[in-house]
Amino acid sequence: MTKKILFLNIIIIMSIFLTACWNAMELNALGITLVIGLDFEDDKVLLTAEIIEPVPAKEKASMKRGSIVTYVQGTGDNVFDAFRDITLKFDRKLYIAHNKVIIFGEEFARRASVTDLDLLVRDREQRETAYLLIAKGSKAYEVMGVASGLEEIPGNYILKLIENFKYNPKVIKVNLAEYLRYFYDRGQQPVLGVIEKREKLKINKIEKSNGGKEYELTVIGGAAFKREKLVGFLDGIETKAFNIIMGRAKSGIITFPTPNITDTNSGPTKPIESDIKSEGISNIRISTVDIINMKTKKDVEIIDGNIVLKVKVKLRGSLEEITGDIDISTKDNMLKVEEACSKEIKKRIEDTILKVQREFESDIFGFGSAFHRKYPKEWHKVKDNWNDIFSKSDFQVEIETNIIRTGLINTPIGKIKGR
Amino acid sequence: MENIKGETKISSYQVILLIIIYRVIIAFTYMPIVNTPPGNQDIWITLLLSIPYTIILCWPILYLSSKFKDLTIIEYSEKILGKVIGKITGIYYTLFLLMFSIILVATLVEILDTTMFPETPTFVSTIIMLITCAYISYKGLEAIGRGAEVFVPFILVVILLFVVLSYKNYDFTVFLPILSDSTFKELNIGALDRSIKFSDIIILAMITPHLERKEELNKIFMKALIYSVFIVIILVIATQAVLGIEYAKHTSFPFFTFSRLVNLLDFIQRIDVLSVIALIIGNIGKIAGYLYFTTVAFTQTINKKTNRPYIIPITILVLIVTVSIKDRRSILSVGEELEKIILITSLITIFILPLVTTIVYFFRRKNL
Repeated sequence: MTKKILFLNIIIIMSIFLTACWNAMELNALGITLVIGLDFEDDKVLLTAEIIEPVPAKEKASMKRGSIVTYVQGTGDNVFDAFRDITLKFDRKLYIAHNKVIIFGEEFARRASVTDLDLLVRDREQRETAYLLIAKGSKAYEVMGVASGLEEIPGNYILKLIENFKYNPKVIKVNLAEYLRYFYDRGQQPVLGVIEKREKLKINKIEKSNGGKEYELTVIGGAAFKREKLVGFLDGIETKAFNIIMGRAKSGIITFPTPNITDTNSGPTKPIESDIKSEGISNIRISTVDIINMKTKKDVEIIDGNIVLKVKVKLRGSLEEITGDIDISTKDNMLKVEEACSKEIKKRIEDTILKVQREFESDIFGFGSAFHRKYPKEWHKVKDNWNDIFSKSDFQVEIETNIIRTGLINTPIGKIKGR
Repeated sequence: MENIKGETKISSYQVILLIIIYRVIIAFTYMPIVNTPPGNQDIWITLLLSIPYTIILCWPILYLSSKFKDLTIIEYSEKILGKVIGKITGIYYTLFLLMFSIILVATLVEILDTTMFPETPTFVSTIIMLITCAYISYKGLEAIGRGAEVFVPFILVVILLFVVLSYKNYDFTVFLPILSDSTFKELNIGALDRSIKFSDIIILAMITPHLERKEELNKIFMKALIYSVFIVIILVIATQAVLGIEYAKHTSFPFFTFSRLVNLLDFIQRIDVLSVIALIIGNIGKIAGYLYFTTVAFTQTINKKTNRPYIIPITILVLIVTVSIKDRRSILSVGEELEKIILITSLITIFILPLVTTIVYFFRRKNL
């Protein structure tokens, strides 16, 4: 018994002294990155990293926003070489396990191939959940370091912008694993997010009269690829249409022109003639529907030897904003509003597909996968030049809108309902 | 000193758990199935198809084991085939088990070094693993069986946890169209390949004399086979639905990559450590078992009573071989060669040798 207790004690004491000797990573020896940017500079890879400076909470309160991070750059023949170049100039080794965003400069995105990103997937440190963005029209390091939101760390600011996808589907939210999945898929080409730097209008001129310009970032739009080649950019509205086609737009808003209705007596009672009625012609004739539920079905059909791409969208929304003179308390008017909404979505989707077919010639929507599922035998004949076939195919778009909620008021505020 | 014959008993439940985990842990670690033909969305069908093939292939071994309920495969091979040939087959089985122990240790060390301890020298991680395994196998079959009751449910819960937590990442359209990209031949080759590599049946043939209820042998086999196939199907489907067919093939450790992608509400994330823990536990369980049965096979081949004195020498042998292989090259990067070696040796072990033994048994039946 005593022998056993002695033995147990020895083991416990040993375990205290023999804790992790290898791979111990102390916080004060790490440079934790949140964002890395990749560019080409004189045919070499230029890597820019945003590193958090660990600051005690006490000091943090008195610091300026954006100053708790520091930026380092390294150049090298490939990505890892660029990483290790940083150790020559910066006192800590980069630790990219917490890296959340990877930004590619536009030049890098156009010239690099997917194999240049091998390190980010092969190495265990970088996680596959990092979001990928392309700095439209600029270098990656040019968009880094802007913190125009309330987040103290610029990296988190970018991350939150991407995650605002749930409020506004004009963003592409794609991470490394998803990108690779689409890259390997013959029936679908990858689309990545976009980040742009824009000059900010000066709001409080007295306080910020230092002459410098203020910038903010926006993640509106998407970058379309054909395999690994960047073929073009989608703007905000096209990105929204893209997200609708892909069935990713689970929330967000749809704006559409308010239908023109010459209003007859619609209510149960006659409106009073009154000068309170809004006579001013509004500049805004756009109404809004908030998406409650949106379901998209992509389909491909062969009709008389021609391939027809089909998109069916079922939207359930709540009417959030209606500008213009329309009484939605009648069924007819409500149907007209629904119709106007459907028409607008249809137009946006058609424009987007047409643009992608004509300019990009790349099936970013995944119609190829739908074709593969439906016509597996034919797919093997066409898969090698599917993108060409896609760009010449006809398409049909069907939208069904149901407005199931109309908010707290039932008549536009510019109208008098009468007795 | 524990006598390896007869006295230690192990329940059917424990054996089923052991065989399930021995099989599942392979899919859990490096999932070779995603790369076997047809290598597309129909792999789960291949797995289902492998069940009848496995039954056919394992029939000789099961038949002999149920005829000689009190003997292990080593002992009845010697009894049927005669002293000299019996010894040779015994040595072959021992070497087969030894080879598997080495492959398992090398794979485990490789995944540990790649995922968690990049700077730890190979021999340190190998020694740590092997000391644990040697200790478990020193404690004997009962410890292994009772241990299985604890660690197998834990691993299965971890698998279930990851499968449930990834619900947001699933895209099941990757499995369509079913059965149209793969030919009948490819499916059957894949199924046959899988069933040949079900080499863990040899463990069942080694355990038979220790079974509490020997008449349940076939039932144990069927249960272990069906459960393990279904768990592997769940693993494969989950991994392919999240990573896509092609990306899953690119990864060395598909389920580990799969578990890295778990991100629920930005709160439950980076829990892949849990999968590594399950992986270590499962692999240690398997290595300990294989080490134990290697020594038992060795003892029975040389007609000795107890296996304990041989555990340490064999462990040291495994250590030396593993380190010398691992310090030269990565074992999974030469996966194709490895798969070929496993295929051929497994075919001989689980089918050809038992079949020959069965045929000889039919001829010599009256004299035995």
